[in-house]
Amino acid sequence: MKKILLIEDNPYDARLVGQILKHHDCQFNHAKDASSGLELAVRQNPDIILLDMGLPDLDGQTVMALLQQMEELQDIPVVAVTAWPPDTAREMAEAYGCAGYISKPIKARQFYDQIAVYFSDDAVYFSDAEE
Amino acid sequence: MTLKKCPVELFPATDFSMATLTEAYNQARIDYIVPMPMNVARMRAYIHNYDVTLESSVVATIEHEIVGLGMLGIREQRAWITRLGISPNKRRNTAGQAIMEYLIQESRERGAQKIILEVIKGNEPAYHLFKKLGFYVTRELLVLRRPPLKAPSKYKPYTVTYLNEATTSDLLEQRHSKPSWLDEAPSLRHAGGLEGLSVRLIDGSHGWIAYQHALYQLGRIVLQPETGDKIAVAQALLHALHTRHLLHDTKFENLPALDPYWEVFEECGYIVSFKRLEMNLDLR
Repeated sequence: MKKILLIEDNPYDARLVGQILKHHDCQFNHAKDASSGLELAVRQNPDIILLDMGLPDLDGQTVMALLQQMEELQDIPVVAVTAWPPDTAREMAEAYGCAGYISKPIKARQFYDQIAVYFSDDAVYFSDAEE
Repeated sequence: MTLKKCPVELFPATDFSMATLTEAYNQARIDYIVPMPMNVARMRAYIHNYDVTLESSVVATIEHEIVGLGMLGIREQRAWITRLGISPNKRRNTAGQAIMEYLIQESRERGAQKIILEVIKGNEPAYHLFKKLGFYVTRELLVLRRPPLKAPSKYKPYTVTYLNEATTSDLLEQRHSKPSWLDEAPSLRHAGGLEGLSVRLIDGSHGWIAYQHALYQLGRIVLQPETGDKIAVAQALLHALHTRHLLHDTKFENLPALDPYWEVFEECGYIVSFKRLEMNLDLR
Protein backbone atom coordinates (compact mmCIF):
# COMPACT_ATOMS: atom_id res chain seq x y z
CA MET A 1 0.00 0.00 0.00
CA LYS A 2 1.45 3.34 -1.05
CA LYS A 3 1.64 6.12 1.50
CA ILE A 4 0.69 9.48 0.03
CA LEU A 5 1.16 12.73 1.89
CA LEU A 6 -0.65 15.83 0.66
CA ILE A 7 0.53 19.19 2.02
CA GLU A 8 -2.28 21.54 1.05
CA ASP A 9 -4.04 24.40 2.82
CA ASN A 10 -7.06 24.56 0.52
CA PRO A 11 -9.72 22.39 2.22
CA TYR A 12 -11.66 21.86 -1.01
CA ASP A 13 -8.65 20.48 -2.83
CA ALA A 14 -7.67 18.37 0.17
CA ARG A 15 -11.15 16.90 0.38
CA LEU A 16 -11.18 16.20 -3.35
CA VAL A 17 -7.84 14.38 -3.23
CA GLY A 18 -9.06 12.35 -0.25
CA GLN A 19 -12.19 11.38 -2.16
CA ILE A 20 -10.19 10.35 -5.21
CA LEU A 21 -7.65 8.31 -3.29
CA LYS A 22 -10.13 6.40 -1.18
CA HIS A 23 -10.97 4.37 -4.29
CA HIS A 24 -7.36 3.22 -4.56
CA ASP A 25 -5.15 1.01 -2.48
CA CYS A 26 -3.21 3.70 -0.67
CA GLN A 27 -2.85 5.38 2.68
CA PHE A 28 -3.68 9.06 2.42
CA ASN A 29 -2.49 11.66 4.89
CA HIS A 30 -3.08 15.35 4.77
CA ALA A 31 -1.26 18.28 6.35
CA LYS A 32 -2.73 21.75 6.05
CA ASP A 33 0.47 23.71 6.42
CA ALA A 34 4.20 23.40 5.94
CA SER A 35 5.22 22.79 9.53
CA SER A 36 2.75 19.94 10.09
CA GLY A 37 3.60 18.60 6.62
CA LEU A 38 7.30 18.40 7.41
CA GLU A 39 6.52 16.75 10.73
CA LEU A 40 4.26 14.15 9.08
CA ALA A 41 6.83 13.51 6.37
CA VAL A 42 9.50 12.70 8.94
CA ARG A 43 7.15 10.53 10.99
CA GLN A 44 5.51 8.61 8.17
CA ASN A 45 8.19 8.43 5.50
CA PRO A 46 5.63 8.53 2.64
CA ASP A 47 6.16 7.08 -0.82
CA ILE A 48 5.25 10.37 -2.42
CA ILE A 49 4.62 13.93 -1.26
CA LEU A 50 2.12 16.13 -3.09
CA LEU A 51 3.08 19.70 -2.30
CA ASP A 52 0.89 22.74 -2.80
CA MET A 53 3.23 25.60 -3.62
CA GLY A 54 1.21 28.23 -1.78
CA LEU A 55 1.05 27.47 1.95
CA PRO A 56 0.16 29.83 4.79
CA ASP A 57 3.30 29.45 6.90
CA LEU A 58 6.09 28.80 4.38
CA ASP A 59 6.17 28.94 0.59
CA GLY A 60 6.14 25.59 -1.20
CA GLN A 61 9.57 26.33 -2.63
CA THR A 62 11.02 26.79 0.83
CA VAL A 63 9.40 23.54 1.97
CA MET A 64 10.94 21.81 -1.03
CA ALA A 65 14.33 23.25 -0.18
CA LEU A 66 14.00 21.95 3.39
CA LEU A 67 12.88 18.50 2.24
CA GLN A 68 15.92 18.25 -0.01
CA GLN A 69 18.21 19.02 2.89
CA MET A 70 16.74 16.33 5.15
CA GLU A 71 18.71 13.18 4.47
CA GLU A 72 15.90 10.82 5.43
CA LEU A 73 13.45 12.53 3.05
CA GLN A 74 15.51 13.59 0.08
CA ASP A 75 14.80 10.46 -1.97
CA ILE A 76 11.02 10.77 -1.69
CA PRO A 77 9.53 12.11 -4.93
CA VAL A 78 7.80 15.41 -4.37
CA VAL A 79 5.22 16.53 -6.90
CA ALA A 80 4.26 20.20 -6.96
CA VAL A 81 0.54 20.85 -7.15
CA THR A 82 0.00 24.35 -8.41
CA ALA A 83 -2.16 26.77 -10.37
CA TRP A 84 0.90 28.39 -11.94
CA PRO A 85 0.94 28.56 -15.72
CA PRO A 86 2.54 25.35 -17.11
CA ASP A 87 5.82 26.96 -18.17
CA THR A 88 6.33 28.53 -14.75
CA ALA A 89 5.27 25.35 -12.97
CA ARG A 90 7.73 23.26 -14.96
CA GLU A 91 10.62 25.66 -14.50
CA MET A 92 10.00 26.22 -10.81
CA ALA A 93 9.39 22.55 -9.97
CA GLU A 94 12.48 21.46 -11.88
CA ALA A 95 14.68 24.16 -10.33
CA TYR A 96 13.62 23.12 -6.84
CA GLY A 97 14.15 19.41 -7.46
CA CYS A 98 10.53 18.27 -7.64
CA ALA A 99 9.85 15.04 -9.51
CA GLY A 100 7.20 16.84 -11.54
CA TYR A 101 4.08 18.91 -11.18
CA ILE A 102 0.33 18.63 -11.44
CA SER A 103 -1.71 21.60 -12.54
CA LYS A 104 -4.67 22.94 -10.61
CA PRO A 105 -7.60 22.76 -10.81
CA ILE A 106 -7.27 19.07 -9.96
CA LYS A 107 -8.93 16.84 -12.51
CA ALA A 108 -10.61 14.04 -10.60
CA ARG A 109 -10.58 11.51 -13.45
CA GLN A 110 -6.88 11.92 -14.17
CA PHE A 111 -5.45 12.62 -10.77
CA TYR A 112 -4.56 9.11 -9.60
CA ASP A 113 -2.90 8.28 -12.91
CA GLN A 114 -0.96 11.51 -12.67
CA ILE A 115 0.60 10.52 -9.36
CA ALA A 116 0.87 6.78 -10.08
CA VAL A 117 3.60 7.43 -12.64
CA TYR A 118 5.88 8.40 -9.77
CA PHE A 119 5.37 5.09 -7.92
CA SER A 120 7.23 3.08 -10.52
CA ASP A 121 10.91 2.31 -9.90
CA ASP A 122 11.71 3.42 -13.43
CA ALA A 123 9.59 6.57 -13.25
CA VAL A 124 10.76 9.26 -15.61
CA TYR A 125 10.86 12.38 -13.48
CA PHE A 126 10.05 15.66 -15.00
CA SER A 127 7.63 14.52 -17.57
CA ASP A 128 4.60 16.70 -17.03
CA ALA A 129 2.05 14.26 -15.70
CA GLU A 130 -0.58 16.08 -17.72
CA GLU A 131 0.99 15.49 -21.08
CA MET B 1 -20.05 51.46 12.39
CA THR B 2 -21.45 51.08 8.88
CA LEU B 3 -19.58 53.24 6.40
CA LYS B 4 -21.52 52.54 3.25
CA LYS B 5 -25.01 51.26 2.59
CA CYS B 6 -26.22 48.10 0.86
CA PRO B 7 -25.65 46.02 -1.01
CA VAL B 8 -21.99 46.33 -0.09
CA GLU B 9 -21.24 47.50 3.42
CA LEU B 10 -17.78 48.60 4.50
CA PHE B 11 -16.35 48.32 7.98
CA PRO B 12 -12.99 49.36 9.42
CA ALA B 13 -10.62 46.41 9.65
CA THR B 14 -10.20 47.18 13.35
CA ASP B 15 -13.71 45.79 13.89
CA PHE B 16 -12.39 42.30 13.10
CA SER B 17 -9.94 39.92 14.74
CA MET B 18 -6.63 39.19 13.07
CA ALA B 19 -7.80 35.59 12.51
CA THR B 20 -10.91 36.84 10.68
CA LEU B 21 -8.90 39.23 8.53
CA THR B 22 -6.46 36.47 7.65
CA GLU B 23 -9.24 34.08 6.73
CA ALA B 24 -10.99 36.77 4.66
CA TYR B 25 -7.75 37.44 2.80
CA ASN B 26 -7.11 33.73 2.16
CA GLN B 27 -10.66 33.20 0.91
CA ALA B 28 -10.36 36.14 -1.45
CA ARG B 29 -7.19 34.72 -2.99
CA ILE B 30 -8.12 31.06 -3.03
CA ASP B 31 -8.46 30.82 -6.81
CA TYR B 32 -5.52 33.07 -7.69
CA ILE B 33 -2.76 31.73 -9.90
CA VAL B 34 -0.44 32.85 -7.11
CA PRO B 35 -2.64 32.60 -4.00
CA MET B 36 0.03 33.51 -1.40
CA PRO B 37 -2.03 32.41 1.62
CA MET B 38 -1.05 33.56 5.10
CA ASN B 39 -1.45 32.42 8.66
CA VAL B 40 -2.10 34.87 11.47
CA ALA B 41 1.58 35.25 12.33
CA ARG B 42 2.45 36.05 8.75
CA MET B 43 -0.40 38.56 8.50
CA ARG B 44 0.74 40.31 11.69
CA ALA B 45 4.31 40.50 10.36
CA TYR B 46 3.05 41.84 7.04
CA ILE B 47 1.06 44.59 8.73
CA HIS B 48 4.06 45.53 10.87
CA ASN B 49 6.70 45.36 8.15
CA TYR B 50 4.80 47.43 5.62
CA ASP B 51 3.25 50.05 7.91
CA VAL B 52 -0.28 48.89 7.19
CA THR B 53 -2.80 50.96 9.16
CA LEU B 54 -5.74 48.80 10.17
CA GLU B 55 -7.72 51.92 11.12
CA SER B 56 -7.64 52.90 7.45
CA SER B 57 -8.09 49.38 6.09
CA VAL B 58 -11.49 48.01 5.30
CA VAL B 59 -13.61 44.87 5.17
CA ALA B 60 -16.57 44.54 2.78
CA THR B 61 -19.70 42.56 3.59
CA ILE B 62 -22.83 41.70 1.70
CA GLU B 63 -25.80 40.64 3.80
CA HIS B 64 -23.55 40.26 6.85
CA GLU B 65 -21.12 37.94 5.06
CA ILE B 66 -17.51 39.02 4.60
CA VAL B 67 -16.81 39.16 0.88
CA GLY B 68 -13.49 40.96 0.70
CA LEU B 69 -11.00 43.38 2.15
CA GLY B 70 -8.38 45.94 1.31
CA MET B 71 -5.52 47.33 3.37
CA LEU B 72 -3.74 50.66 3.40
CA GLY B 73 -0.12 51.36 4.27
CA ILE B 74 0.91 54.92 5.02
CA ARG B 75 4.44 56.37 4.89
CA GLU B 76 4.74 60.13 5.11
CA GLN B 77 2.71 61.52 2.20
CA ARG B 78 2.39 58.25 0.34
CA ALA B 79 -0.20 55.52 0.65
CA TRP B 80 -0.01 51.90 -0.49
CA ILE B 81 -2.99 49.70 -1.23
CA THR B 82 -2.44 46.03 -0.54
CA ARG B 83 -4.10 42.69 0.29
CA LEU B 84 -7.09 43.70 -1.84
CA GLY B 85 -9.27 40.74 -2.63
CA ILE B 86 -12.86 39.68 -3.14
CA SER B 87 -14.17 36.14 -2.63
CA PRO B 88 -14.52 34.42 -6.02
CA ASN B 89 -18.31 34.13 -6.02
CA LYS B 90 -18.82 37.78 -4.99
CA ARG B 91 -16.78 39.54 -7.62
CA ARG B 92 -19.69 40.97 -9.59
CA ASN B 93 -21.10 42.97 -6.73
CA THR B 94 -18.93 46.11 -7.03
CA ALA B 95 -17.35 45.31 -3.67
CA GLY B 96 -13.87 45.74 -5.17
CA GLN B 97 -14.68 49.20 -6.45
CA ALA B 98 -16.32 50.17 -3.16
CA ILE B 99 -13.21 49.10 -1.24
CA MET B 100 -10.91 50.97 -3.62
CA GLU B 101 -12.97 54.17 -3.47
CA TYR B 102 -12.94 53.99 0.31
CA LEU B 103 -9.15 53.49 0.44
CA ILE B 104 -8.56 56.35 -2.00
CA GLN B 105 -10.71 58.67 0.11
CA GLU B 106 -8.96 57.49 3.27
CA SER B 107 -5.58 58.22 1.64
CA ARG B 108 -6.70 61.77 0.83
CA GLU B 109 -7.90 62.33 4.36
CA ARG B 110 -4.57 61.16 5.72
CA GLY B 111 -2.73 63.67 3.55
CA ALA B 112 -1.27 61.29 1.00
CA GLN B 113 -0.22 62.90 -2.26
CA LYS B 114 0.27 59.61 -4.08
CA ILE B 115 -1.12 56.08 -3.87
CA ILE B 116 0.95 53.10 -4.95
CA LEU B 117 -0.20 49.56 -5.59
CA GLU B 118 0.97 46.44 -7.37
CA VAL B 119 -1.17 44.13 -9.44
CA ILE B 120 -0.17 40.67 -10.65
CA LYS B 121 0.40 40.86 -14.38
CA GLY B 122 -2.47 39.05 -16.03
CA ASN B 123 -5.06 39.90 -13.39
CA GLU B 124 -7.10 41.81 -15.94
CA PRO B 125 -10.22 42.56 -13.84
CA ALA B 126 -8.13 44.19 -11.11
CA TYR B 127 -5.94 46.01 -13.62
CA HIS B 128 -8.97 47.48 -15.42
CA LEU B 129 -10.55 48.53 -12.14
CA PHE B 130 -7.38 50.40 -11.17
CA LYS B 131 -7.15 52.04 -14.59
CA LYS B 132 -10.78 53.11 -14.32
CA LEU B 133 -10.01 54.75 -10.98
CA GLY B 134 -7.15 56.75 -12.48
CA PHE B 135 -4.11 54.61 -11.67
CA TYR B 136 -1.34 54.43 -14.27
CA VAL B 137 1.47 51.92 -14.73
CA THR B 138 4.89 53.07 -13.60
CA ARG B 139 6.94 49.92 -14.19
CA GLU B 140 6.98 46.14 -14.38
CA LEU B 141 8.39 44.22 -11.43
CA LEU B 142 9.70 40.66 -11.23
CA VAL B 143 9.14 38.28 -8.36
CA LEU B 144 12.12 35.96 -8.31
CA ARG B 145 13.06 32.70 -6.64
CA ARG B 146 16.37 30.97 -6.29
CA PRO B 147 16.71 27.44 -4.93
CA PRO B 148 19.54 26.75 -2.49
CA LEU B 149 22.57 24.48 -2.76
CA LYS B 150 24.01 25.95 -5.92
CA ALA B 151 26.87 28.40 -5.53
CA PRO B 152 27.10 30.76 -8.50
CA SER B 153 30.01 29.92 -10.76
CA LYS B 154 30.65 33.17 -12.60
CA TYR B 155 32.69 35.68 -10.59
CA LYS B 156 36.06 37.38 -10.39
CA PRO B 157 38.20 37.01 -7.26
CA TYR B 158 37.18 39.39 -4.49
CA THR B 159 37.56 40.13 -0.83
CA VAL B 160 34.42 40.25 1.28
CA THR B 161 33.48 42.16 4.43
CA TYR B 162 30.40 41.13 6.39
CA LEU B 163 28.33 44.03 7.64
CA ASN B 164 26.22 44.20 10.77
CA GLU B 165 22.65 45.44 10.95
CA ALA B 166 23.52 49.01 11.90
CA THR B 167 26.07 49.45 9.12
CA THR B 168 23.75 47.87 6.58
CA SER B 169 20.91 50.09 7.72
CA ASP B 170 23.09 53.16 7.17
CA LEU B 171 24.04 51.97 3.70
CA LEU B 172 20.37 51.82 2.70
CA GLU B 173 20.32 55.61 2.86
CA GLN B 174 22.82 55.64 -0.01
CA ARG B 175 20.79 53.41 -2.26
CA HIS B 176 20.70 54.37 -5.95
CA SER B 177 17.86 52.18 -7.22
CA LYS B 178 14.21 53.11 -6.79
CA PRO B 179 12.68 50.64 -4.32
CA SER B 180 9.16 49.29 -4.31
CA TRP B 181 7.16 49.56 -1.07
CA LEU B 182 8.19 46.02 -0.13
CA ASP B 183 11.90 46.76 -0.13
CA GLU B 184 12.01 50.36 0.99
CA ALA B 185 14.34 50.96 3.93
CA PRO B 186 11.50 50.97 6.51
CA SER B 187 10.33 47.56 5.25
CA LEU B 188 13.80 46.11 5.63
CA ARG B 189 14.28 47.63 9.07
CA HIS B 190 10.88 46.50 10.35
CA ALA B 191 11.32 42.95 9.05
CA GLY B 192 14.45 42.33 11.12
CA GLY B 193 17.34 40.07 10.21
CA LEU B 194 18.90 42.84 8.17
CA GLU B 195 22.39 41.88 7.07
CA GLY B 196 24.82 43.01 4.43
CA LEU B 197 28.19 42.43 2.90
CA SER B 198 30.56 44.38 0.71
CA VAL B 199 33.06 43.13 -1.84
CA ARG B 200 36.18 44.60 -3.42
CA LEU B 201 37.71 43.23 -6.60
CA ILE B 202 41.44 43.22 -7.34
CA ASP B 203 41.05 46.25 -9.65
CA GLY B 204 39.36 48.25 -6.88
CA SER B 205 35.79 47.84 -8.12
CA HIS B 206 33.49 47.54 -5.14
CA GLY B 207 29.91 47.54 -3.90
CA TRP B 208 27.53 46.22 -1.26
CA ILE B 209 24.42 44.16 -0.87
CA ALA B 210 21.76 44.33 1.84
CA TYR B 211 19.26 41.56 2.50
CA GLN B 212 16.94 40.03 5.01
CA HIS B 213 18.20 36.82 6.57
CA ALA B 214 15.24 34.82 7.90
CA LEU B 215 15.39 31.31 9.31
CA TYR B 216 14.90 29.48 6.01
CA GLN B 217 14.82 32.23 3.45
CA LEU B 218 16.77 35.21 2.15
CA GLY B 219 14.83 38.15 0.78
CA ARG B 220 14.46 41.88 0.25
CA ILE B 221 17.75 42.15 -1.59
CA VAL B 222 19.29 45.54 -2.33
CA LEU B 223 22.21 45.19 -4.72
CA GLN B 224 24.48 48.17 -5.15
CA PRO B 225 27.67 47.99 -7.18
CA GLU B 226 29.36 51.32 -6.49
CA THR B 227 32.36 51.82 -8.77
CA GLY B 228 34.45 50.16 -11.47
CA ASP B 229 33.28 47.04 -13.28
CA LYS B 230 29.75 47.04 -11.89
CA ILE B 231 28.66 43.80 -13.55
CA ALA B 232 31.65 41.99 -12.05
CA VAL B 233 30.87 43.55 -8.67
CA ALA B 234 27.25 42.38 -8.93
CA GLN B 235 28.43 38.85 -9.74
CA ALA B 236 30.82 38.89 -6.80
CA LEU B 237 28.14 40.19 -4.43
CA LEU B 238 25.72 37.43 -5.37
CA HIS B 239 28.48 34.83 -5.19
CA ALA B 240 29.42 36.02 -1.71
CA LEU B 241 25.79 36.09 -0.59
CA HIS B 242 24.91 32.60 -1.79
CA THR B 243 28.16 31.06 -0.65
CA ARG B 244 27.58 32.45 2.84
CA HIS B 245 23.96 31.21 2.85
CA LEU B 246 24.31 28.10 0.73
CA LEU B 247 21.34 26.29 2.29
CA HIS B 248 18.89 29.17 2.11
CA ASP B 249 16.04 29.47 -0.33
CA THR B 250 15.74 32.97 -1.77
CA LYS B 251 12.64 34.97 -2.57
CA PHE B 252 13.24 38.37 -4.09
CA GLU B 253 10.16 40.44 -4.75
CA ASN B 254 9.88 43.40 -7.07
CA LEU B 255 13.13 43.63 -8.99
CA PRO B 256 12.33 46.11 -11.77
CA ALA B 257 12.14 44.24 -15.09
CA LEU B 258 14.53 46.83 -16.54
CA ASP B 259 17.04 46.57 -13.69
CA PRO B 260 20.57 46.69 -15.16
CA TYR B 261 21.60 43.66 -13.07
CA TRP B 262 18.71 41.35 -13.91
CA GLU B 263 20.93 39.27 -16.19
CA VAL B 264 23.40 38.81 -13.36
CA PHE B 265 20.61 37.55 -11.12
CA GLU B 266 19.53 35.21 -13.90
CA GLU B 267 23.05 33.84 -14.38
CA CYS B 268 23.14 33.25 -10.65
CA GLY B 269 20.12 30.93 -10.76
CA TYR B 270 17.24 33.32 -10.11
CA ILE B 271 14.05 32.49 -11.99
CA VAL B 272 10.91 34.50 -12.53
CA SER B 273 8.00 33.27 -10.45
CA PHE B 274 5.56 35.89 -11.68
CA LYS B 275 5.37 39.54 -12.68
CA ARG B 276 3.64 42.55 -11.22
CA LEU B 277 2.75 45.96 -12.52
CA GLU B 278 3.39 48.86 -10.19
CA MET B 279 0.69 51.51 -10.52
CA ASN B 280 0.35 55.00 -9.08
CA LEU B 281 -2.47 57.45 -8.54
CA ASP B 282 -1.57 61.11 -8.03
CA LEU B 283 -3.78 62.84 -5.50
CA ARG B 284 -2.32 66.34 -5.72
